[in-house]
Amino acid sequence: MKNEWVDTLAGSVRVKVRGKGIERLINACVRQGMAVWNVKKHSADTVTFFIRLSDVKQLRHIARKSGCKLSFVGRTGLPFFWRRVWRNSGFWLGLLVFLAGVFLLSNVVWNIDIEGATPETEHQIIRELKRMGVERGAFQFLLDDPETLQKKLTERIRDITWVGVEWKGTSLHFQVVEKEIPEPKQPLPPRHLVAKKEAVVVDLFVEEGQPLVSVNDYVQKGQLLVSGIIGAEGRTKFVPANGKVFGETWYKSTVVLPLETTFHVLTGKAMARHYIGIGRLSIPVWGWEKPPFSHMVVEREKRPFRFWKWDLPFYYERVIIREAEAVKRSYTWEEAFAEARRIARRELRAKLPEEAAIRGEKVLHQEKENGKVRVELHYEVIENIAVPQPIVQGD
Amino acid sequence: MVKRWRQQVKRWMAETLELPADIMMDLPRITMIGQIHIYIENHRGLLAFSDKELRLLLRNGQLIVRGEQFVIKTILPEEILLEGKINQVTYIDK
Repeated sequence: MKNEWVDTLAGSVRVKVRGKGIERLINACVRQGMAVWNVKKHSADTVTFFIRLSDVKQLRHIARKSGCKLSFVGRTGLPFFWRRVWRNSGFWLGLLVFLAGVFLLSNVVWNIDIEGATPETEHQIIRELKRMGVERGAFQFLLDDPETLQKKLTERIRDITWVGVEWKGTSLHFQVVEKEIPEPKQPLPPRHLVAKKEAVVVDLFVEEGQPLVSVNDYVQKGQLLVSGIIGAEGRTKFVPANGKVFGETWYKSTVVLPLETTFHVLTGKAMARHYIGIGRLSIPVWGWEKPPFSHMVVEREKRPFRFWKWDLPFYYERVIIREAEAVKRSYTWEEAFAEARRIARRELRAKLPEEAAIRGEKVLHQEKENGKVRVELHYEVIENIAVPQPIVQGD
Repeated sequence: MVKRWRQQVKRWMAETLELPADIMMDLPRITMIGQIHIYIENHRGLLAFSDKELRLLLRNGQLIVRGEQFVIKTILPEEILLEGKINQVTYIDK
C-alpha cells in the first residue's frame, strides 16, 4: 500500500490525461511499479490521477508510446512547498531576523551566578561587577576576559582570597573562596621543634614539650630546640611539641642601583579603536584619528563573537592606545645610597615572616662604580626559628 | 483435457486440505465494505474505467463493477481499491 506521509514528503503531482487507451496507460504505469492513486474520470476521454513527483519522467516515457496527452494540473508536497517558500521574501526576512536575534542573544550575558560567597560579599561582588560593566544584558565582547575580571575582583574586594571566573555558555560563573574560613583543627602528630637556621636564642615560649636550649645559646641549623619526648626515664611519652623560639639571625644582602634611570610612565590619556575581524583581516569600525602621542603603549584585546554556543570565526577587537611619557630619574650619590638601603630593607622584609623584626642594620661596604652604587648590608633579625620535625615512632 | 483435470485436482486439494481457494486456484479475492469500498486482489489489469463502471481482466473472464461516482483510490499490479457507490458486481466468463 502507498504511504501518505512518504508521498507528502517526496511530493506528488496531479496528472490530466486526454486521449484513447487511458486504461492501457494506467496498466502500463502500474506494471512499471509506479504508484497511481485517486483515479477519476471526468469525461469520456479525460482522466486525472496522482503520481509521485519522482515518477513523472517515467510517465512521460510511457505516455509518448501510448499517444495520450499529458498535462499537470496540481502539485502538492514538500518540494513544491519549499519552492514557494524559497521565492518568498518574507521568509528570507524572517530567517535573517531570526539569525540576527540568535546572534545578538548569544553575545549577551544572561546570568551571573556567584557561588561560595556570603550574602555581603556577594552583594559587594555584584556592585563591583556592575562598576566594571558586567551585568545581566551586557554584551560579552565588551567585557574583560575572565582572567582580567578575576584579577580585578581579587584586587578590589578584600574579603576574598580567590575567585574563579568561568563562562558557562552565556552565563558567567564565579566561584569565590572567602578569607575567613576557619581551618579545621587536626590533632598534631608527635613532633620535635628544630632550628630553621643558625641563631642565638633570644626568647623561648614553649607550650608543650621539653625545652633543650636556653636564652643566649648558640644553635646550629637543624639542632633540636624543643623535644617531643617528655617524662622521666622509662616513662616517656610522645607529644607534639609546640611553641616559639625566637632567635637572632643574620642576613646579608647586596643592592646595585644606577644613578640614572629612564622609564615610561602612562600619562592617562588614551584613545580606543574598534575593529571587527575575520581571520587575519581587521576592519575598523570606530575610531580613525591618528593618535597625537609621541610615545605610546598599545593594548589589543580580541573577543570572538558567539552564535548559540559556538565561537564564530569573527571577532571584536579593541585597541587601546595610551600615551606614554619618558621620565628620567637621577639620584645624587647620597640619595642613591639611601635608596639602595631602603630597597634592601624592603626586599628583606618581603622575604621574612610577619612576626619577624629587623633589629639592626649595618653597612658592610659601599662603593661607587661607573654610574652605579653598590651597597652590602648586614641585618640582625629576631624571628621564630622553630620548625616542627615529626618524630618517627619506633626509632 | 489436461488443464481441466488439473483444475479439478486443485479444487479437490482446496476443499480437502482446507487451503485458501484464491491462492490455490488463482481466483480474485474481493472485499466489500457496504456499498462504499470494494477491494479486489489478484486481477490482471484494467480494461475500462469511468465514473459509473469498472471493468477488470481476470485470469479467466472479466469482472464488472457498476455504480456511481467511482474513484480508484489505489491501483497496483494485482490489487485495486475502488471508492464510490457500488450497485452491482458481475462476473463474465470467457
